[in-house]
Amino acid sequence: MELPENLNKDSNGYESAEKIILRWDSTASEDARERMIFETDRQEADLYLQAVDEIQRSLSNVSISTSSNAGKNANAVDDQSKVNTTIQIAMARLEDEFRNILITHSSALETDSLFDPSSSSISTPSHHELEEDDTLSNDDSSHHDLLQLQLQHCESSDSSTYRSTSSIREVDLMPSEAICDLQAIAMRMISSGYLRECIQVYGSVRKSAIDSSFRKLGIEKLSIGDVQRLEWEALESKIRRWIRAAKVCVRILFASEKKLCEQIFECVGTDIDDACFMETVKGPAIQLFNFAEAISISRRSPEKLFKILDLHDALMDLLPDIEAVFDSKSSDSIRVQAAEILSRLAEAARGILSEFESAVLREPSRVPVPGGTIHPLTRYVMNYISLISDYKQTLIELVISKPSTGSRYSGDQTTPDMEFAELEGKTPLALHLIWIIVVLQFNLDGKSKHYRDASLAHLFIMNNVHYIVQKVKGSPELREMIGDDYLRKLTGKFRQAATSYQRATWVSVLYCLRDEGLHVSGSFSSGVSKSALRERFKTFNAMFEEVHRTQATWLIPDTQLREELRISISEKLIPAYRSFLGRFRSHIESGRHPENYIKYSVEDLEMAVLDFFEGYPVSQHLRRRSQ
Amino acid sequence: MPATDYQASFLGRISIRRNQVIAMDGNHEQELQDLELFSKHVSERFAELLSSPDDVPFDALLSISWLRKLLDFFLCCEAEFKGILMMGNDPSQISKPPLDRLIPEFLDRSVKALDVCNAVTNGLESVRHYQKLAEIVVSALEQKPIGDGQSRRAKKALTSLMSAMNVDDKECSAAKATERSWSFSRRGVSSKDRVPEHFRSVSNQVAKNWSAAKQIQAMTNNLVPPRGAEGSGLASPVYTMNVIMVFVMWALVAAIPCQERNGLSAIHFPAPKQLNWAQSIIGLHEKIGEEWKKKEKKGTAGLLDEMQKMEKLGNILMDFTDSFQFHGDITGQKAEEAAAHAAELAETCRRMEEGLLPLQMQIREVFHRIVKTRTELLNALDQVGKSSPPLL
Repeated sequence: MELPENLNKDSNGYESAEKIILRWDSTASEDARERMIFETDRQEADLYLQAVDEIQRSLSNVSISTSSNAGKNANAVDDQSKVNTTIQIAMARLEDEFRNILITHSSALETDSLFDPSSSSISTPSHHELEEDDTLSNDDSSHHDLLQLQLQHCESSDSSTYRSTSSIREVDLMPSEAICDLQAIAMRMISSGYLRECIQVYGSVRKSAIDSSFRKLGIEKLSIGDVQRLEWEALESKIRRWIRAAKVCVRILFASEKKLCEQIFECVGTDIDDACFMETVKGPAIQLFNFAEAISISRRSPEKLFKILDLHDALMDLLPDIEAVFDSKSSDSIRVQAAEILSRLAEAARGILSEFESAVLREPSRVPVPGGTIHPLTRYVMNYISLISDYKQTLIELVISKPSTGSRYSGDQTTPDMEFAELEGKTPLALHLIWIIVVLQFNLDGKSKHYRDASLAHLFIMNNVHYIVQKVKGSPELREMIGDDYLRKLTGKFRQAATSYQRATWVSVLYCLRDEGLHVSGSFSSGVSKSALRERFKTFNAMFEEVHRTQATWLIPDTQLREELRISISEKLIPAYRSFLGRFRSHIESGRHPENYIKYSVEDLEMAVLDFFEGYPVSQHLRRRSQ
Repeated sequence: MPATDYQASFLGRISIRRNQVIAMDGNHEQELQDLELFSKHVSERFAELLSSPDDVPFDALLSISWLRKLLDFFLCCEAEFKGILMMGNDPSQISKPPLDRLIPEFLDRSVKALDVCNAVTNGLESVRHYQKLAEIVVSALEQKPIGDGQSRRAKKALTSLMSAMNVDDKECSAAKATERSWSFSRRGVSSKDRVPEHFRSVSNQVAKNWSAAKQIQAMTNNLVPPRGAEGSGLASPVYTMNVIMVFVMWALVAAIPCQERNGLSAIHFPAPKQLNWAQSIIGLHEKIGEEWKKKEKKGTAGLLDEMQKMEKLGNILMDFTDSFQFHGDITGQKAEEAAAHAAELAETCRRMEEGLLPLQMQIREVFHRIVKTRTELLNALDQVGKSSPPLL
């Protein structure tokens, strides 16, 4: 169709369009303010849009006709001004309509259906629940200066490795009819040069929709100071919640917003829908990540390791989605922030591991555990590294340097050393775990020196190293990392301790039952010194009673180990006593008060050995030998 | 940073072995020199900050470019400070008095500063929002001759702009409501009034009860200059750095809209006269404080130079569009004036466009730096505090 030279030809179309526009001028009439075109009637809306189109056409006509005139035609200028005014009125109206449609369809995301437990990670590591440390008897006040060991139970429902594949799921935030309307309006606004207004309106309404979604998802606005002040337990549940929420935000909420922008601004180019998208989500995205950032810079302490790893893994998992959703230049800062947080979390994890090692080394409690049983430190540390082995997948990638150990030749008494040559081919993580065990033993060795009784010291070491071995054997991942070579070393150590114990206690007891010194040279008939023999028996009885009384209160928690040690004792004690009795009882029985010297039968001793290492005191009176 | 770097760069310097003590004697001289140098550099840099050509009015002091200089100043001083503290001769010094008290306080202030950084970043988003609204005004008034349509459009945008600047400030300070009526017609909000936050410019990312003024006030707690013998050791640069940090945060908050800034001018910096940079900071503090008081009375938005200009021009242009509405066409001198003002506004927008993003990035860098120093100090404390109960 030919463009008209002036407006007159088309004046009817223009005039009626103008009428429509003016009718809906909300600055002019009450009625126009009360009703919304796009809510009223499909037809009204179409008519209005057509009117706008008509006016826009006229505008370009006027520009053409004005510029094609040689001189400025006052009428043309007037016309142009009039048209401009009409356009402005139309744009103002459309802006309101735009806003209204957006508001009508902007509610918080339906989040209940989104937390689908089955859709969370595919691989669930076998978390074993941390053993509650309960061997500290409450009535034993001497343990109050020992460490407080309150390791949290890991909730296996929130699995720690989020290795599920990226699953961006866009949902329809608005019915398609609304989107069509918005598209139509946006087109007109943008072609009239009112892009900025359009973006402003869009951003402000969608932002408050996102805010409501955030509230529903439980995303809080916490300052860094708040996060530093909160108890770690409280933070743990916040972290859990954040992880769930962040996935929904990135994969569903933000992705859907992006799609919405693309749909509404489909016809007008990607820069615009990018701008709208960033206008909408930049602030909320920063708010979301601020929490993770605050966690990543909190003070390091051992109990934080696992939740920090959880957070790290979740963010790592989300990173590809973050990059997909925030792929424009203007969203650089968000991607960069996410990457920064990830690296801080990794650094924090490494730092915590280091600190843990130092803390184990330095743990200063001096009060010996009664009964020589398993020290709370041992339990804590072994539980901790078992858990570390559960997080092996992540930690193997994060831990890349060897532990800082003492040097073999430094002569420094305060740190153990570890020879790395014999640990070729092990990952740094495995080296760290071994180092932790080395350091633990070093500390335990120090603690054992506080026992006045050397036997008890040996028993203590035996118990604790045995526990270490059991824990390593009990976890396939841990065992694989520690390696059977080192395991053998550890086994050797506790066997050695058992032997040392036996030597320390029983050598002197069995010494009473030796042959030498009892025979007297000289007269032919009785070659045995009765007095010496009586002394022997008395000494043996006294020693045995003492040992029995004392060592019944000692404890070997592991049943099998207890049995084994008792059997080992019996194997040495019983035959020696039986043979001693056999050879020398007649000499005593032929004298006065034999019962003072031969107090116990072999069976009595056998029974008594069963009392050993039970952890209970026994009555002083052993069963006298029955007659 | 990979763990190896971390270990090599820092742990390597701090000896874990108790029986190794790095010789101190020869280095004491060096240390004193370093401290003096630090102090000197601080005053020099401060003087640079204050220097502006005489014909530039004070208002231009808190401009975007000046703020960027301020942040540079902070980063330079911080780097030097860290050098003194960390590469010092005896690493265990940080756990001995008076540092055993001063360092934890410094760390606490650092955390507060981090929150201020975040709040200011959030505030910059508001400023960006004003910029965008102003750009609408500019594009409306750019067309010549200015017709009724453009004037209306400009007025609408101006109204949003002025309300936004006011509302944000109302959110920001508990100042009494201005008398200024919202001279816009109630368009777009139907009688059901579904969007209460309609005129809020930027969704607020800051925690609800957080107050910028209170935060800065808290940062000045215990900020006491070292006395007597204390002043000769590391206590002095620690104090200096503290004051610099608090001052920078304070200036940022004064310039940029942040949540709850009531009482900002009441915050004092104890800066004893003997410190050679004290005069500069006191002077600066007074100037900014006065401007702030003026602002509080008027009820206008932050002291950022560009924002002040925007506000001033906004008012002028608002009057212009008002008179346009009532008197119809305006030509000649008035039109030229309006065009000139619009051009100024365009210039302000341009400066914002150029400067806001780099400013945000700089604040982010400050954030990172503070975090890094804090982490390193915490590690150092843990290493040195071997006799203290471990964290298990």
